[in-house]
Amino acid sequence: MRKITSFLVTFLLANIFSIVAFAQNVTISGNVKNSATQENSSAVSVSIKGTEEGTFTDDKGNFTIITRSVPVTLVFTSVGFALQELTVNSSVSNLKIGLIPNNDLGQEVIVSASRVPEKIMESPVSIERVSAAALRNAPSANFYDVVSTLKGVDITTSSLTFKSPTTRGFGGSGNVRFNQLVDGMDNQAPGLNFSVGAIIGLNELDIDNIELLSGASSALYGPGGMNGTMLMTSKNPFKYQGISFVVKTGLMHTDESERPTSPYYNWALRWGKKISEKFAFKITSELIQAKDWIGTDYRNYDRSNGVMVAGNRQSDPNYDGVNVYGDETTGDIRPVLQGVAAAAPFLAPFISTLMTNPIKVSRTGYTEQELMNPNTINFKLGGSFHYKLSSNTEAILAGYWGTGNTIYTGASRYSIKDFKMGQYKIELLNKNWMLRGYTTQENAGESFNLAATTQNFNESWKPSPGSTGWFAQYGQAYVVGKLNGLTDKDAHNGARAAADVGRPAIGTAAFTSGYDKYRKIPAPKGGGLLDRTDLYSVDGSYNLSEYTKSFADILIGANFRKYSLNSQGTLFADSTGPISIKEFGAFVQASRDITAKLKLSASGRFDKNENFDGRVTPRVTALYKVAENNNIRLSYQTAYRFPSTQQQWINLDLVSYKLIGGNNDFIKHYKFDTNPAYVRDALKNGQQVKWNFPAQKPEALSSFELGYKGLLMNSKLLIDMYGYYGNYTDFTGRVIVAQSKSGNPIAQADADTGQIYSVPINSTEKIKTYGFGLGFDYRLPANFSLSVNFASDNLTDIPLGLITSFNSPQYKLNASIGNAGFGKAKRMGFNVAYRWQDAFYFQGDLANGTLPAVQTVDAQISYKLPSTKSILKFGANNLLNQYYYNAVGNSFVGGLYYVSFGYNIY
Amino acid sequence: MNSIKNKFKTGSIIMASVMTVLSACNKAPEEIIGPAPVVPTGLSLAQTLAATPTDSLYYRMIIRGGMLATISNTANTYTMFVPDNVAVRQFVNAASGGAIPVAAPDAIHSNFISSLLPASSAAGIVGYNICPQKLVTSAIPATFPNFQFPSILNPAPSLSPFLRLTTFPSTRNGAWLNNGPLTSSINIAASNGVIHHTAVVTTPPSRYLWNRIDTDPELTYLKAAIIRADSGTTAPGFLRGVLLNIGANLTVFAPTDAAFQATLTGAIYQGLVALGSPAGAATLATATALASTPAVFSNPALYSVLSAQTVKGIVVYHVLGSRAFTNNFPTVTTSYPTLLNGAIAAHPGIALTATFGVPFVSAATVKGAANATAANLIINVSPLIPDPSGTSDQHFLNGVLHKINQVLLPQ
Repeated sequence: MRKITSFLVTFLLANIFSIVAFAQNVTISGNVKNSATQENSSAVSVSIKGTEEGTFTDDKGNFTIITRSVPVTLVFTSVGFALQELTVNSSVSNLKIGLIPNNDLGQEVIVSASRVPEKIMESPVSIERVSAAALRNAPSANFYDVVSTLKGVDITTSSLTFKSPTTRGFGGSGNVRFNQLVDGMDNQAPGLNFSVGAIIGLNELDIDNIELLSGASSALYGPGGMNGTMLMTSKNPFKYQGISFVVKTGLMHTDESERPTSPYYNWALRWGKKISEKFAFKITSELIQAKDWIGTDYRNYDRSNGVMVAGNRQSDPNYDGVNVYGDETTGDIRPVLQGVAAAAPFLAPFISTLMTNPIKVSRTGYTEQELMNPNTINFKLGGSFHYKLSSNTEAILAGYWGTGNTIYTGASRYSIKDFKMGQYKIELLNKNWMLRGYTTQENAGESFNLAATTQNFNESWKPSPGSTGWFAQYGQAYVVGKLNGLTDKDAHNGARAAADVGRPAIGTAAFTSGYDKYRKIPAPKGGGLLDRTDLYSVDGSYNLSEYTKSFADILIGANFRKYSLNSQGTLFADSTGPISIKEFGAFVQASRDITAKLKLSASGRFDKNENFDGRVTPRVTALYKVAENNNIRLSYQTAYRFPSTQQQWINLDLVSYKLIGGNNDFIKHYKFDTNPAYVRDALKNGQQVKWNFPAQKPEALSSFELGYKGLLMNSKLLIDMYGYYGNYTDFTGRVIVAQSKSGNPIAQADADTGQIYSVPINSTEKIKTYGFGLGFDYRLPANFSLSVNFASDNLTDIPLGLITSFNSPQYKLNASIGNAGFGKAKRMGFNVAYRWQDAFYFQGDLANGTLPAVQTVDAQISYKLPSTKSILKFGANNLLNQYYYNAVGNSFVGGLYYVSFGYNIY
Repeated sequence: MNSIKNKFKTGSIIMASVMTVLSACNKAPEEIIGPAPVVPTGLSLAQTLAATPTDSLYYRMIIRGGMLATISNTANTYTMFVPDNVAVRQFVNAASGGAIPVAAPDAIHSNFISSLLPASSAAGIVGYNICPQKLVTSAIPATFPNFQFPSILNPAPSLSPFLRLTTFPSTRNGAWLNNGPLTSSINIAASNGVIHHTAVVTTPPSRYLWNRIDTDPELTYLKAAIIRADSGTTAPGFLRGVLLNIGANLTVFAPTDAAFQATLTGAIYQGLVALGSPAGAATLATATALASTPAVFSNPALYSVLSAQTVKGIVVYHVLGSRAFTNNFPTVTTSYPTLLNGAIAAHPGIALTATFGVPFVSAATVKGAANATAANLIINVSPLIPDPSGTSDQHFLNGVLHKINQVLLPQ
């Protein structure tokens, strides 16, 4: 082992320092402009043909390159421009280069599909790319919304700054089947299991590109990328220099339906500086401030059966509003009535007429609108130092840190308050290999669970149980009401008014101080969340093609991860100390051009988690070139994922049930070995199906995909289409089980009155998934472009009772028309984007329910000031202010209208 | 070129307009509409009565009692027992001390109700004849003992909001309210309740069982027995307390003084003989003399025979822990536990049986376990003679009392 290590070190060092000494005696400098607009072109790659020497133009379009000898041929390349070559015969300082805009489709270079650069046209798997230029012309105020316009992407919007994209299903605020990587770092909060890209990710000025692999991508990116992987790459300060900023100011809530019209501020800054040819750094920052969207779904939810039911607070005494909290506490008041009958026997016959059915009533809740601090704030600070150890090797030290308030939907709605998360990495990047270590440090701050906080707060001003408790007062007042001839509804409402005497009103000091106290007390006695989970990760890869070219291009890589779960018992079963989870993985990929038309690649990955057996996931891809720029791709991939940290270790008491993980330790903890649990749905029907807590397994997906990407109609039309079909084995869902509270043998009644648990389950059935996507990009004359895409995702053969949380509309459509430069000197730009998604049935830990179809229109119009590379933009998200929600219980999102000024935008 | 531009401009405008149309319909979560609540239609209780000519006199009583607003309130639901005009005329006749003949014109009756009947009495009667919620006769049980159902009348609201005078409807052998017959006009639906017509005016009880026992000249032995029983060292005053407790719900079979005298004479005679007195007329005369007044219970010489414990046992053997009007008596002899079963759970209790005439019970018996023959209930000479004049089905706040002609012997 030691031998191998020292060999590797020597190997790496040889690569780093393989610098050929040369005399630097010819200096060539000049300026690059956009020949159409006469703007200075920054970040244009200037390289010397046939060598690895090169540089980039700075923010004024200037470049300087030093070479050993002349003549040399300089190659100028930049995305969106035609490649230009220029032969220079002598030292020169005032070269003037005019790049000709090139609107060609399909010429972008992507990295993530095979972990090596290749043209997007030649990607062997489905991939989407968003360039910085596309972001610039997008109407969205938040770049995450741009991702939603990509083919087959669904976004779940928890709140203004909390957006979770997914592909091929399983939408939700916390989505564990879709990877989000920022400069190679997984930016899922390791404890809370949600990706924090919008909170602690890059700011829009620093995004070089976003690549999105829809479909299984575990073979290259490890467990988690079951349904897709999104890779966000930031701008390298060697290439992108200067100070840039965007000041965005907007208005929200203009119809005042949720709250008064409020301002939206988003200020972003980036400063990239190349100190020398060897050293560069960048600093990025962003501040978002607004009054957030909130959930105002007041439908009545039957939590024990997981369905929406009729009724509201006035008509249903057991009302449990989706976005109303505290009303989860429910009880049957018949024991109170029996108590009254025992104390006043002359009323017993009358009372018995009231008790034919359970009389379930819920405590009076408070709405999200009343409870949630409306101020959402998000501050991001990031930066990196880049040092070139050689022309081939760059060392990077980077950190991203963010803090803020936002709203998240999990088993309840969470006010993520003063949340802090930092990601810090050290990376060595060589032309052929890379080595990276990073850590994610999560701190939930003062985040709290609205339901648990409110329930505990309600208990504080009047306990539910007891002879003078809330339910006793309610039950007694209910009897009096009935004795007075009141209708059931009036008797209940009168009883509620009587039991609610002393209920602190919103805005009073009693409410504020009491509520503040309980949101800070950790669950289960309060609603506080004390998550301090950390993740440590090391990964590396080596492209051996240099040595194996004759046979195949070979890429190898490995990674190691360690989670340290630490919620002090408020989220995980870790009240006695942090829980550690270790994972290891390694992959190899080989690809070869079999013929001029056929390229094959195969990759395999082995992963091992300390709690689960190791597993190999292979991928085989084929790319067949039908004609130039017309490729058919076929791939077979397997993907799998270990159960998420929460699926292994969560231990959350949601009052109506306990949400627990699948780790075997829970069997002893909840005494399932001596007091077994039974499948509740079966128990309701009188069948006793014992739940044996089978060992939890990783979930696997094998899928085939067939795709075509081609340029037609004189390269003006880009068509990309795919179809996929896959099988999940050991699909991880959830099942509801019931356990006797008394320890007596289970009885049918325990389905209602027993202790209920939601436990992870690996389905023994194969679950099928299939879908397709179809996209057209058409370049119209005069720089206009039209894009339309349509996709469908499906999950079938779901066993009865399995909660899959597939949560994807069967069909979705995006259409946009835009122009990045028209009018005088092509200074004007506009874009109108339309999105439609079908209605579907949503399943979440908070609530299930049918989501209606959603349609939105985003639009922007912009004006460029070329002298300062500035853009003035007027934009609208959800232009028509048609409130929509894309997960049950989530915020209702209305129109956001903004004006932005961006300086030095490239 | 310009024409192309214009075309696209037009195109974009059209596209934008299409989007506008399409996008104008994101749906907010729609509350699931359950089955529409049954909105009561038709006439209210008040309107129904106002529209029924045969209820005109009771309607006057409702107004007199200030209860019209209550039964006009369509937000609430009530069951009304409504005496028809025939019944009210009889009530007025009785209430006026016979001054207003039953056959007097309704205007006279009406005038009496509106001006001479105390408003509080009217309010009490009407309140007592209203029960909360809708109680159709099919929901009224026919089982023994009587079903107890609260009226809306709270005799002491300041004491407890749960306090209610209770009524005892029954569908045993017909339909009844506190042993008063209902007419055939029952289950008349109103928007805010249901109406059952009664053939008599049912007045709310105002006295306790003890009040009657304490003052009835025919029940002086029973009174003395209770006092003797309560003089015991265990739970002194218990029986009187129960008989004065508004929360109690009892049936008292009250042996008349004659019954006590007969039983006691025999018991004392046997006691004296056992103590050595010669059997015969002299001892019998002594026994008769000793048993000739209620003071027999406080005669220290007899304490060994009539201990507090023994007397208490005998008294509680005459009391049921439920209210049984004669209309709910079984027609086939059936045993029921008494309060004595509280001490001796296995005791067979007393055996009841009744013979029904039309519509009232014409004869009823109750037999103690150790009695040779069953005691007869002293049925009212004419039906429905209320306290304090009647002998059976005498209704009190905390129970019903029937006089009987034998002392019941538990063993």
